Amino acid sequence: MKMSKWLLFFSFAALAACNLEQEIDIDLPEYESRPVVEAYLEPGQPFRLLLTRSAAYFDPLPTVDNFLGELLLSGAEVEIVHNGATYTLNNQLSLDPQTQKIYNYIAEGGARVPEDSSLPFELFIRLPDGRTITGQTALLPPVAIDSLVVEFPETDTLARVLTYFTDDPDQDNYYRYMLQLNALDSLPEQDFVSDDRLLSPGDSTIAFGTGFNYEVGDTLFTTLYHISEDYATFLESVSGAAAANGNPFGQPSPVISNLGGDAGALGIFTGLAKTQRMDIIEEP
Amino acid sequence: MKFYFNFILLLLAGAIEAQEVTVSGSVSDEETGETLIGATVAAPSLGLGTTTNEYGFYSLSIPRSDTAVELVFSYVGFQSQLASFLPKADTVLSLGLSTGVQLEEVVVKANSYQEQMSSTEMSVEAISTREAKLVPVLLGESDILKTVQLKPGIPSGSEGRTGLFVRGGAGDQNLIVLDEAIVYNANHLFGFFSTFNTDAVKDLKIYKGGFPAQYGGRLSSVIDVKLKEGNNQKFSGSGGLGLISSRLTLEGPIQKGKSSFIVSGRRTYVDLLTRGVNRANEGNEDFTPIPDYYFYDLNAKVNHQFGEKDRLFLSGYFGRDVFGFNSDFFNFDFDWGNATGTARWNHVFSPKLFANTTFTYSDYQYNIRNEVTGFSFGLGSDIQDATLKTDFYFAPNNRHTMRFGVMGTHHTFTVGRLQAGSDDGVVSFSAGQEFDGVEFGTYFADEMELSDELSINAGIRLSGFSNDGKTYFGLEPRVAARYRVSDRVSAKASYARMYQYLHLIANAGVALPTDIWYPSTSRVRPQRSDQVAAGFSYLLGDQYFINVEGYHKWLANQLQFVDGAQIFVNDELEEEFAVGEGRAYGLEFSIEKKQGRLTGWVGYTLALTRLQNFETLDPNGRFAQESEGFGPFSPIYDRRHDISVVGIYEISRRFTASVTFVYGSGDLSWLPPGRFTFQDVPGAGFEAVVPDYRERNNFRLPAYHRLDLGLVYKFFPKWGKSDLTLSVVNAYDRRNAFFIFLEPSFEAIEGTDIEVPTGIAAKQVSLFPILPSLTWNFEF
Repeated sequence: MKMSKWLLFFSFAALAACNLEQEIDIDLPEYESRPVVEAYLEPGQPFRLLLTRSAAYFDPLPTVDNFLGELLLSGAEVEIVHNGATYTLNNQLSLDPQTQKIYNYIAEGGARVPEDSSLPFELFIRLPDGRTITGQTALLPPVAIDSLVVEFPETDTLARVLTYFTDDPDQDNYYRYMLQLNALDSLPEQDFVSDDRLLSPGDSTIAFGTGFNYEVGDTLFTTLYHISEDYATFLESVSGAAAANGNPFGQPSPVISNLGGDAGALGIFTGLAKTQRMDIIEEP
Repeated sequence: MKFYFNFILLLLAGAIEAQEVTVSGSVSDEETGETLIGATVAAPSLGLGTTTNEYGFYSLSIPRSDTAVELVFSYVGFQSQLASFLPKADTVLSLGLSTGVQLEEVVVKANSYQEQMSSTEMSVEAISTREAKLVPVLLGESDILKTVQLKPGIPSGSEGRTGLFVRGGAGDQNLIVLDEAIVYNANHLFGFFSTFNTDAVKDLKIYKGGFPAQYGGRLSSVIDVKLKEGNNQKFSGSGGLGLISSRLTLEGPIQKGKSSFIVSGRRTYVDLLTRGVNRANEGNEDFTPIPDYYFYDLNAKVNHQFGEKDRLFLSGYFGRDVFGFNSDFFNFDFDWGNATGTARWNHVFSPKLFANTTFTYSDYQYNIRNEVTGFSFGLGSDIQDATLKTDFYFAPNNRHTMRFGVMGTHHTFTVGRLQAGSDDGVVSFSAGQEFDGVEFGTYFADEMELSDELSINAGIRLSGFSNDGKTYFGLEPRVAARYRVSDRVSAKASYARMYQYLHLIANAGVALPTDIWYPSTSRVRPQRSDQVAAGFSYLLGDQYFINVEGYHKWLANQLQFVDGAQIFVNDELEEEFAVGEGRAYGLEFSIEKKQGRLTGWVGYTLALTRLQNFETLDPNGRFAQESEGFGPFSPIYDRRHDISVVGIYEISRRFTASVTFVYGSGDLSWLPPGRFTFQDVPGAGFEAVVPDYRERNNFRLPAYHRLDLGLVYKFFPKWGKSDLTLSVVNAYDRRNAFFIFLEPSFEAIEGTDIEVPTGIAAKQVSLFPILPSLTWNFEF
């Protein structure tokens, strides 16, 4: 080992031995628990939502055995109004076996979100203590994925994937892009929110690319959500809040919800129009 | 312009008294030819006196007489000189002072305290390069800007915090000028070091309030740094070898006594080590290459004296921080830095009238370039200034010293310039805004000695800014008064209004090189401050100078980001601004000893800063909806108590020991008091713990304190002088908080991949353990 390597080794070893990260006891400001709503209107899927509660940061955590029971907020009256019809959501725990997502309020009789509607949806929740949560949203038209291009470099067997779609230049659009490998219930390889504000003037093609990570035979599930500005803002604020904790360069932010009412609720009520495709990577 | 000049002269002509003659000139260091700022020129037999201005020029009116008058020229650290002068006609008398013996053995005259008590200037702190070189410093890098932060009213020592937060002002509210050119980012390595190479600095002065009318453009402080002019008597050099960098300064006459040059450079060299390590590990798949990082800066200056009346100076600064990480598939380069240039012409119109005309150029930019196979990405911002200004110094008699001048700056801003896309051009993104702005100002001020006890400096500044089809004007009254209660007690008060037409767009955390300077526009109004300050000075014995000041500052049009703001790559940044107001008040106390073997000071500040009444700038914008946690709050730098102790003790001719101790209330931090679980949409990951942030800056970090020790051992070789400087920073190994975060621990639910939190801990991250360092410095 050369002298310079020894010097560097000892420098890092000395710093590592200094224990510059340590656990401490702190008292955080008082915190009052808030209801948390996640209500996604997926065309063709039942009206359903998840209603939970937040907690003070250092409150005792739910036990592993009864994690959901301690987290879920039960006993609320939930209604969604659309096109003159009122859909009542019963307090009933359900699990979507394909996506492994849980909902604790679901429409009576399995009433489903229409495939296509330009009319608004209104949410009304009355909590057991009488406080209310309200929300309003709409379904946006899905945006087609124009093409998915697989590119192999000349010198490697791993490919990258480019997903192309066309943006409507006449309006501000927001997108959520998700790429999953081999299964729809796998954690996404890519998951991000974008808007069309960075497109060069006159350009309407948007492309999202991956690194050179995929090999022949891989199955890719690509999902493009056309989302509302409210939802984009909510998602960015959630990821910003998560990223700022532990990052001294981060910009902390409260979560920005699109809910009203007097319960001070956190969360989102939004339509979730999507385009999804499945591709298997083939030999170049 | 000509009309303006004639008009001022006409106004002043009546004040000139024909019964007097004027002696004028400059005072300099005899050994180097450097002009001395603040040197005293007195006629003790007549009870008259003055001091040299920032260009070393003085003007003293004396009753016409046939009897010779003895003038005394004196300056802290130099031997006083006597000169006999027959006051029958105006006379130019320029003089060099000598240290005579080693600087550190010269008895420092207590009259420097008298000068402080006589001046109407208040809320001013100065630091000498000697002090900066003797106090212990991080990794042995003497840093005059860091040392001045040990003075009261300038919160010091916070772990990793980079900005200067003077009297409750934000980090962008400091006017930092290097040879009159603005320096937009005075930091290297994210603020651990300043851009000022102490070897090249002649003088640093910081105004915290009571701003003279010649300064404008920032709300909270003026940091005026002047570079050395270069030794015009003999060739000399100085430098040092430190743990992380080396520096070298060369200076000498071009034409002895007439012109000189100085060149000073500094570069860090940790990257040379890390590159070697990377090379040694080429082919080792388990090894992650270490990114390159270094910074450097270069100062250069030449000056020439054209006869008795004219002197020309050309100076420049160029500095860069360079960070790079390169591999076969991924290339990332990030550099940032300042460039400044100054051309300055001093002209003596008459013994009573002196002018300084300056052209300056400033540039601050950062550039990020990233290439991944097939794609490239470039992001940068830039601000460029070209400034022309003229300042006049007019002393019609000993009761009045007037200053007046005019300036104009053309600003060019490139904000968030982005180019991204694929190499084949199929994918292309771009963003960025460009602005041109013109800033201008004119001022007049008169320092009036109304009686032996009472002096007033009254001034007015008219400033303005034009951009985006909108022109703003600001009228800025400035007044400072001194009342000399006795030889030992002096009371002072001041009021200053300031306008600031630029805003630094920074996030709530640590200052970054990517923070963006943004101009006032039709929607973004200029910042404004009003500050009143009052205090007194007391000379205790011959050695101790006590200063107490209180201040109250009102701030208007303060910018903050709205909750959830998108800071980077956003062409509609103004949608993400909220505008509010602030208030800061405090009390500063210091006791200083400049004389004897033990010198130093103790400072204490009690302060409070609050920001409030923020409203979204764009009521129809993306973030117009009511967001929570944006009520009244204190900024992160709101420090209730701040104590600093600095002691320098000359043990012997060879040994000097020094100690600094700082204590401050912890910075504020924005921590989430709550958490919630976020399931997200089908396909997306499950977030078991998402922080729920509420009120801003709701948590105060533990108190900050640190003890630093220094020891200098001097050598006296035949070729010059040298020393070994040992610094021990954080001598008792205190773990001060850089930041705190809340970390959950997880456990998977049996039979599933779903992880749930099982415990949460608060963790504190510190930056520095005890850090010893050794530096070798030399002079020849």
